[in-house]
Amino acid sequence: MKKLWMAGLFTWLVFLLPVCGFSSDKVYVYNWTEYIPDSVIQQFTEETGIKVIYTTYDSNETMYAKLKLIEGDGYDLVFPSTYFVARMKNEGMLQPLNYNLLPNASALDKHLLNKAYDPENKYSVPYMWGSTGIAVNTDVISPDKVTSWKDLWNPEFKGQLLLQDDMREVFHMALRILGYSSNSRNPEEIKDAYLLLQKLMPNVLLFNSDSPRLPYMAGEVNVGMIWNGEAWMAQEENDNIVYIYPKEGANFWVDSFVIPAQAKNVENAHAFINFMLRPDIAKICVEENGYATPVTTALPLLDEEVRESKTVFPDGATIDAGEFQTDVGEALEIYQGYWEKLRSGL
Amino acid sequence: MMKRFQGLYYAFVYFFLYLPIVVLVVNAVNSNRYGLKWDGFTLKWFSAMLQNDGLMEAAGNSMLIAVSSATLVTALGGISAVVLYLYRFRGRKIISGLLMIMMMIPDIILAIAMLVLFILMGVPLGFWSLLLAHITFCLPFSVVTVMSRLQGLDPSLLDAARDLGASESQTMKRVVFPLLRPALFGSWLLCFTLSVDDVIVSSFVTGPSFDVLPLKIFSMVKVGVKPEVNALAAVFILGSILLVILSQFLTKEQQK
Amino acid sequence: MRINYRNTTISLVVGWMAVFSGIPLLLLLGVSFLQPDQQRYFLFNFSLTAYQDLLDPGYFQVFLRSMYYAATTTCICLVVGYPFAWFTSRIAKKYRIVVLVLLMIPFWTNSLIRTYAVRLLLGTKGLVNNTLLALGLIDAPIRMMYTDFAVVLGLVYLMLPFMILPLYANMEKFDHRLVEAARDLGSTGLTTFRKIIFPLTLPGILAGCIMVFVPAMGLFYVAFLLGGAKKNLIGNLIQQKFLISQNWPLGAAMSVVLIVMMILMLGCYGLILKRFSTAGRG
Repeated sequence: MKKLWMAGLFTWLVFLLPVCGFSSDKVYVYNWTEYIPDSVIQQFTEETGIKVIYTTYDSNETMYAKLKLIEGDGYDLVFPSTYFVARMKNEGMLQPLNYNLLPNASALDKHLLNKAYDPENKYSVPYMWGSTGIAVNTDVISPDKVTSWKDLWNPEFKGQLLLQDDMREVFHMALRILGYSSNSRNPEEIKDAYLLLQKLMPNVLLFNSDSPRLPYMAGEVNVGMIWNGEAWMAQEENDNIVYIYPKEGANFWVDSFVIPAQAKNVENAHAFINFMLRPDIAKICVEENGYATPVTTALPLLDEEVRESKTVFPDGATIDAGEFQTDVGEALEIYQGYWEKLRSGL
Repeated sequence: MMKRFQGLYYAFVYFFLYLPIVVLVVNAVNSNRYGLKWDGFTLKWFSAMLQNDGLMEAAGNSMLIAVSSATLVTALGGISAVVLYLYRFRGRKIISGLLMIMMMIPDIILAIAMLVLFILMGVPLGFWSLLLAHITFCLPFSVVTVMSRLQGLDPSLLDAARDLGASESQTMKRVVFPLLRPALFGSWLLCFTLSVDDVIVSSFVTGPSFDVLPLKIFSMVKVGVKPEVNALAAVFILGSILLVILSQFLTKEQQK
Repeated sequence: MRINYRNTTISLVVGWMAVFSGIPLLLLLGVSFLQPDQQRYFLFNFSLTAYQDLLDPGYFQVFLRSMYYAATTTCICLVVGYPFAWFTSRIAKKYRIVVLVLLMIPFWTNSLIRTYAVRLLLGTKGLVNNTLLALGLIDAPIRMMYTDFAVVLGLVYLMLPFMILPLYANMEKFDHRLVEAARDLGSTGLTTFRKIIFPLTLPGILAGCIMVFVPAMGLFYVAFLLGGAKKNLIGNLIQQKFLISQNWPLGAAMSVVLIVMMILMLGCYGLILKRFSTAGRG
């Protein structure tokens, strides 16, 4: 009996050791669900010997809250959208990037740099950009029926829509229908949008921003919002799922690499960013995720089919018709208040 | 007539309980990635699961937490139950009330309360915070399990021990502990299960450096197509069946 | 020095409970009376803002919705679990253990994985729809995912053992000769149930209901996975208050209200048990 106890204790200690021990070469990456292909992470570890501890979130808000809560003990790399880059930067949650460690950053698309949310890109480097539009399963619903955001309000779609579980993207629809900017800070305009969204709620079947393509692929949903990349991935399984840029303009966004102020493995984080900006790696990401990359040198490497795809790379007119998400400052609280009301069924 | 109805009823309930599990196990060996139709037998999802380093590490972490917390909580819970049952002291009522509340409290509240405590105490979120939280939320269940056994004991046994000149610690070691062994074993199993299964508390009190299985599963289940989840479920189910057989075997042994 | 066994153990237990259960709950209570602040979670000013905000009809709706899910789940578990426990208490001892172990095996599988399994069944292209279609019972798939039905089914699936076990524990002690005696005295099945079986199994019923109702109030991830995250439940609302909108006092106030409700339920349970035991003696 004694021996058994000793054996048990010993095994326990052996298990415990790695917990207490410090192992050096790691990088803690906190990213959107399904945003970096597994193979890319493996390749990074193989090439550099740096182990990637990878965890995921499903909204900017969740990521922000978690980072704020565990200040000091955290992640080395996160991927906020533009308006959260601005917010986190203003709250001192980010550290400046060291461009000496990021030689691959020279190939970035100038159109996506030096924006208001982070002038001179001191704190952030764009990872991917894409849009939020409409997905339709043409097997069930004729694509002529859905050409604009407004069409989602059609009473025919009662209890059928999928919406992104993302406050800004949902408000984008209503603000654009009303003819306002989707980055509006005007409380009146936001309220109008809320009133319009209230009328949309009976049509909603579910909210999902982890992998919105799945309900479409499983046949649960035939019309609703989707990210272009998710639509792209869904098309690989089912050609009938088409991606539509709505008439009022799609919602465009950029997600960036940022390093939190208290990150411990700063060099490894830089190495990871630099690796991700390599043309061959960026190519894999585009082809797997279906979002556009700011790495210009990757574009010639892409498959014809991908490069020509309007879903992945919209033309200039489509981009001009849409609107890029930017920081809304204090107005974010107003959005939050209405968002919660919508979700409470009010 | 009644017999037949009874049999049907059992069949119905077990069908309800086992159907989803059977579907999972079947899909774990189904080549079709989405499990929508049968494409032939395969074990590739099991090897995919084993090669998923993150998953394996989380599984290891979960086992470590579950074994540690189940062991510690059973010790603490056993002592608490004995103390509450045998001794009359000030605060006893409060402690038992608190235990009841802790058992009844929704996980989310407990999780937040613990988080606030850890942040204020400066405990870094990771292994230790997780261990403390798991011990805390398992404790009432352990106490209740042991207590129910104590209430079934014959109090004269303790009197007899005392009359024969046994010291307090001798009574505990020689009389109470052996009698409680089945209850302690039950408590250990229960706490192990609770710990391995907990999502809500863990998601609040652990940090990025210490990922545990339920959280990993949660992020996988949300995405939902990875057949590794099915493989993992199949392993879980086989594991629990083995555990059940083992526990039957052990209790049998003890009765002899 | 001789260690005093008694005092050591008492202080260990009291100390642990105070630090890890007492203090967190008191902290929560304390925070609920502070002033909300976006940046720093709360300010150290006494304030009833959180409780005033709680009067918002929206929160009442959320609360009612959570109660509705939990209550429906409890009722279904009771209806399904009661006969199960009753039959089990009447079969031969050696079979009982088999019946209960079979009940527990699914319970030992991770609850998330089981929720996920329910999803595989209920989908538009899931097993249930496919079977019904193949049998020709329906022409088009029925929508089951992302409905209240899916949420309640998932909850019942997860919680059923929690209902059956307390019921069984109570019924195991039931003296079945009472039923025979009643029958011999000419009582009908229904009267026997109403006058004898039901009152004697009431403690088990209540214990089971509490064991199911309370966790069902908090299990918001089931509603999230099976119900499509459309409408907030009390659990994720509390989570949002703490994490997303950084309003700790309001989140704490909601928690306090919920805890008070649980304590009241426990109190009622205690009272009924007491009355029951005195009535039983008299």
